[in-house]
Amino acid sequence: MYPAELIAPIELVVSTRECRKAETWPRLGDAERNQLLKTYHPDYKEAAFRNLRVGSNKGDRVTHEFADLLESYSDLDHARIKLQPEYRTDVLVLGGGGAGVSAALFAESLGARVLLATKLRLGNSNTIMALGGMQASVADGDSPIKHFADTMIAGNFAGKPSLVKALVEDGPGIVKWLLDIGVNFDRDDDGNLTTKNAGGLSSPRILSIGDHTGLNIMKVLKDELRKSGRIELSEFTPAVELTTDANGVCNGAILYDIGRRRHLVVQAKAVILATGGSGRLHNQGFPTSNNFGATGDAVVLAYRAGARIEGLDSFQYHPTGVMFPEHMVGVLVTEAIRSLGAHLVNGKGERFVNELDTRDLVAAAIIREIEQGRGVRTPAGKLGVWLDIPVLDELLENGLLKKRFPSLFKKFMRVKIDITKRPLLIYPTLHYQNGGILIDEQGESTVPNLFVAGEAAGGIHGRNRSMGNSLLDIFVFGRRAGLAAAERRSAEARPLSLDHLTRYYDSLKMLRISSVAKSPTLFPEFIVDKL
Amino acid sequence: MLTIELEGRKIKVPEGLTVIEALWDTGHDVKRGIGCLSGLCGACTVAYLESGAQRVKFGLGCQTVVAEGMHVIMLPYFPSRMAVYDMESMTNPLQEVANHYPELASCNDCKACNICPEWIDVAGFVKAAKDGAYEVTAEKVMDCHMCGLCASRCAKSIAPHYVGLYIQRSCSRQRSLPPNLARRLQQMELLAKDPEFAQVPTLSADEIEVYCYTILGI
Repeated sequence: MYPAELIAPIELVVSTRECRKAETWPRLGDAERNQLLKTYHPDYKEAAFRNLRVGSNKGDRVTHEFADLLESYSDLDHARIKLQPEYRTDVLVLGGGGAGVSAALFAESLGARVLLATKLRLGNSNTIMALGGMQASVADGDSPIKHFADTMIAGNFAGKPSLVKALVEDGPGIVKWLLDIGVNFDRDDDGNLTTKNAGGLSSPRILSIGDHTGLNIMKVLKDELRKSGRIELSEFTPAVELTTDANGVCNGAILYDIGRRRHLVVQAKAVILATGGSGRLHNQGFPTSNNFGATGDAVVLAYRAGARIEGLDSFQYHPTGVMFPEHMVGVLVTEAIRSLGAHLVNGKGERFVNELDTRDLVAAAIIREIEQGRGVRTPAGKLGVWLDIPVLDELLENGLLKKRFPSLFKKFMRVKIDITKRPLLIYPTLHYQNGGILIDEQGESTVPNLFVAGEAAGGIHGRNRSMGNSLLDIFVFGRRAGLAAAERRSAEARPLSLDHLTRYYDSLKMLRISSVAKSPTLFPEFIVDKL
Repeated sequence: MLTIELEGRKIKVPEGLTVIEALWDTGHDVKRGIGCLSGLCGACTVAYLESGAQRVKFGLGCQTVVAEGMHVIMLPYFPSRMAVYDMESMTNPLQEVANHYPELASCNDCKACNICPEWIDVAGFVKAAKDGAYEVTAEKVMDCHMCGLCASRCAKSIAPHYVGLYIQRSCSRQRSLPPNLARRLQQMELLAKDPEFAQVPTLSADEIEVYCYTILGI
């Protein structure tokens, strides 16, 4: 329910609704776009970044949040841990979202022994929250080559062509695999997969499952994992360090058992990092749409082991993250509602951007309104602008809005806000890590036998991920990494060491760095600031 | 400040916090009961009794705001039996519902399972499953995030969420290959022989740009 102090601002929005309907807002030309992005988009705020002083990407620009973790010693006293493996396996998968579970399933399909270790429950991930859908070039007028072109353009040509080629080529095969295990993609009356359009796509290409695409795929994958009985699962045991052999080849990890508060050492022929994104590092204090465990652990572990990262200074900010009520801050309101014509309205009751422009531009425009003093203040003291849904009166006829967006409607009715009558307060939310640990087409990083899949991997999406490509890349590279990692199982097992860490720490010492951090972060610190 | 009873202990918390926030605020190191914090994953299920109420209610800890006198506990998960099956090797999984979940037949429609935090009509889809109306069940469980609260209420130890998932997967598995996908998969063979596309990884940055714009006719 909206409190008294927001009633007058809401009346203002209502009063301007009629004139706003008649307005048209042109999309910005190139010069204006660049100006707006450079001035207001978080990726361009120079003060929020610094150049790394150590490691494989020394000199490259990353966020302070990551640099703080990479340019410090871990608070784990490694000397106290005996590197005698308690578990031996062929493939160690770290992370239990879409990429991790796919990797485990495919590694096992080649006969490899697999241990899948997760930080929280199996399935706790950003995957389950993916609402929009998954790109795959199945429509008749479409082709993988068009998918390639769309993806390269969306990423500003910073994506690696070989990785994007792999992504689009594997798409249709991944869809077949998911259908074979019983995933229920939406179909039309003729049994064809329905494909929806989205910003930046030359052809409709988004497959979906109702309102909850990611959730419905993850449910099936978790169920599938139990099938063979040969994939061992270890929940609530995040990795805190990787191990390598005397040649720097990755051969295991140190896990921390949260429940029993002890470390366990795992020896593996290959390791797959699939720990997801880093939204819970809250770049520049932004709210995030990400799950609780998204603290960028993979980047920290891999970087210390010597891996190269790619594009870790580019993040996707989804324009419409909820700002009220307080406990829903950061949760996404689907882009589809803007596609149908909802307006973005500032504190003066005015529109200020073409709502269907690209995400980065719309996000920058919202930030501009706030910084220029035209925002709306929530009772908790945060600032946002309005997302005016009631302006879609054709949709409100006959309860059509409720039928098209049942989850959205119910979510807000739960907090006594009727979206058919009231606007929502929103602000850009940190949504996706565009870069990550650089991989090749098999998912291998620059550290031998260390593979990466999913949001943690870098080199695919360039400077901006196209909607629906993340759900595809987790399965494409999860599968590739799983198959490639399984092939390493016949290699000789070598003793585990932390030599890579000694080398890394030596480089910190040479720079007189003495800071110690909880690195990897594992869990964000939360200060509930309502007191 | 409000006084609530959290995991059996009377404690003061500020107004307006959710159950999860109240646990953090009072120094509980919550790990097992946390997931997406957006009401979508079912990790943080709670049971609570409101002040003066008689009926216990169920919900998600990240979305339930505490009130004065509320008595609340976390229910991390429920140990229901899950059937094991290899969906990929089954051609008619719908015929085997009763084999994998025989307890379904003992449902007497008591509706105790209708406490779903996503407002799913659980008793309705269990009845549909029992009656063989599998498409109805599959449709109704699309919003299910497998929290297991429904299973915790069933006097017959039926696990509606597992039964629903089996049926959802089976209905989809039994459908034939979508025609548009079938056509695309056939065409993939030709694509592998496309010389221009095969060369793409060797192109320079400028050549890639030209290639992409040409493909899209821009």
